[in-house]
Amino acid sequence: MNDRIIFENVSKFYGEVLGVNRVSLSIPPGVTTLVGPNGSGKTTLMNLMTGLVQPSSGRVSALGMTPGDADKFFRQVGYCTQFDSFPRGLTSWQFLIDGLLLHGMSKADAIRLAGEALERVHLGDAASRKIDAYSKGMRQKIRLAQAIAHHPRVLVLDEPLNGLDPMARAESLSLFEELSRQGMHLVISSHILDEVDRISDRVILITGGYIVAEGNIHQVRREVRDKPMQVLIRCDQPEQLASRMFSVNHCAEARLHSDGKGVFLRTGDIDEFYRLLNEIAIEGLVKIEAVAPADDDTQAIYQYLIGSDGSPS
Amino acid sequence: MSVYKHEYRAYTGRLTPLWARVGVVVRYALAEAWSSKITAVLFTLAMLPAIVDLVGIYLANNPLARALIMRGNTAFDINAGFFLKVLATQSWFTLVLAAWIAPRLVAFDLSDNALPILLSHPISRFGYVVGKLAALFSCLSLATWVPCLLLFIYQGYSSAQPWMRANLRIGAGLVTGSLVWIALLSILGLAISSWVKWRVVATGVIFAAVFVPAGVGGIVTGVLRTKWGFLLNMPAMMTQLWQRLLGAPQVMRDDRQLPTAAIAAVLVSICLVSVAMLNARIRARDEVRG
Repeated sequence: MNDRIIFENVSKFYGEVLGVNRVSLSIPPGVTTLVGPNGSGKTTLMNLMTGLVQPSSGRVSALGMTPGDADKFFRQVGYCTQFDSFPRGLTSWQFLIDGLLLHGMSKADAIRLAGEALERVHLGDAASRKIDAYSKGMRQKIRLAQAIAHHPRVLVLDEPLNGLDPMARAESLSLFEELSRQGMHLVISSHILDEVDRISDRVILITGGYIVAEGNIHQVRREVRDKPMQVLIRCDQPEQLASRMFSVNHCAEARLHSDGKGVFLRTGDIDEFYRLLNEIAIEGLVKIEAVAPADDDTQAIYQYLIGSDGSPS
Repeated sequence: MSVYKHEYRAYTGRLTPLWARVGVVVRYALAEAWSSKITAVLFTLAMLPAIVDLVGIYLANNPLARALIMRGNTAFDINAGFFLKVLATQSWFTLVLAAWIAPRLVAFDLSDNALPILLSHPISRFGYVVGKLAALFSCLSLATWVPCLLLFIYQGYSSAQPWMRANLRIGAGLVTGSLVWIALLSILGLAISSWVKWRVVATGVIFAAVFVPAGVGGIVTGVLRTKWGFLLNMPAMMTQLWQRLLGAPQVMRDDRQLPTAAIAAVLVSICLVSVAMLNARIRARDEVRG
């Protein structure tokens, strides 16, 4: 069975307004993060993925199923919308049970799965309270619970970390990691890039309705050749290391770490850079303690490819 | 890169048929409709004329009451004309009930932006609308054909003559006439509610949708001296339709009688426009038009 979410040359226009244009993607299991400025088309992409909007052209499928076959499709897909909205007057227990009954579960299964989902998001104690009386974070959690309650294989989460306190955010991220390890698809849009970065297997950068880049974040960073890569090297003699690198390599920039025990170096040729760094380490002139890329995270890629104004750079 | 163990198992239990899931929407809708005390008050008020009519039927069939109170007055005869008045009265209350309940069923979901959550389940927009319609239809039934039919049965039971068999057309007309009216009100009410997010305003617009065209139709009829202006007058059209279904005497002059086909065409047109309005509005998200 096809285990991917596939977009085949998908475009979506709302009248004359562009939602997304000519998107082709093949998303494998794991955590995929959608990153882009407000209005870039992230939610449209998620709505297309979950069949809530129909593409103007192209085709979308998840695990080989299309949203046209709603019964099978929604059994495998769970969607947590970004809207802080619920049918009025329900307790979280009723909300989950009714959702599961809409999925076609029997009453007994619905009760079991609702209880399980509430426990997973740590809302078991508040199950009998009306959602209207919940805090923003609790409402976010209950949306997540309804998305996972029916055991979908594809989980689409639109801004799932918004409104959560640091502890709840950590719990949610840990839940996402656990689900992805079990072979689930998680497609997440979020503005909290540093936290999402920790669990993402791949990133899709989108702006103005166009996909700017997609793939493993390190691979994407390496493809951005016009921006020299920045590497942090922790060592005992950062000044000497910087001067040595400048003398033999195409280093574009060197900046001492604020504690004086490291140096940030920018290079246009990362392979050559690492080869020289190995030589320096072998020579023993500088004692190198750690080497870490300093700008191959989502935040940096976002800055390089999309920039602060939201337009592709 | 994660190592995928593929130990995640999707739900594999038995599933209920698709049509049964519409019942969840119906239950939501009924709970929403009856969560307001005003619904209960309106429903109680709608029952009052039926109770008065029940007493009227009792008195009309009681020889002593006929002799003492009615004294041979034919205005108290229980016939098609009587049931036409019963149906017309109940229908006014139904309009009020529809104007109150319909916005609660749809406008709340739209203003709360609850549609994306509901429609990301295996239920279609069609299923959602059918569920809401079924809930509204059942509420309106309680104020129209159910009491009308009960009165008809009571008259058949109370009458000394074999009345019911001789007047089956009245019973069938009551049910058919009621069903046409509440189906029209349900679909029109939901369509208007889907376009007006504010519930109170939606209630007003539902009344306006019935009375404003009726006023315009009256002007057209008066100025152009034509009966066709009545095609804009929903209450007048429905009265003519009910009169024919029940076999009651005409309540409007001959020159104001509309062909049944024309009435049917207008009613179907209203339904089609309402369906188009629902189709445009009941979506998982708002579409931005540039």
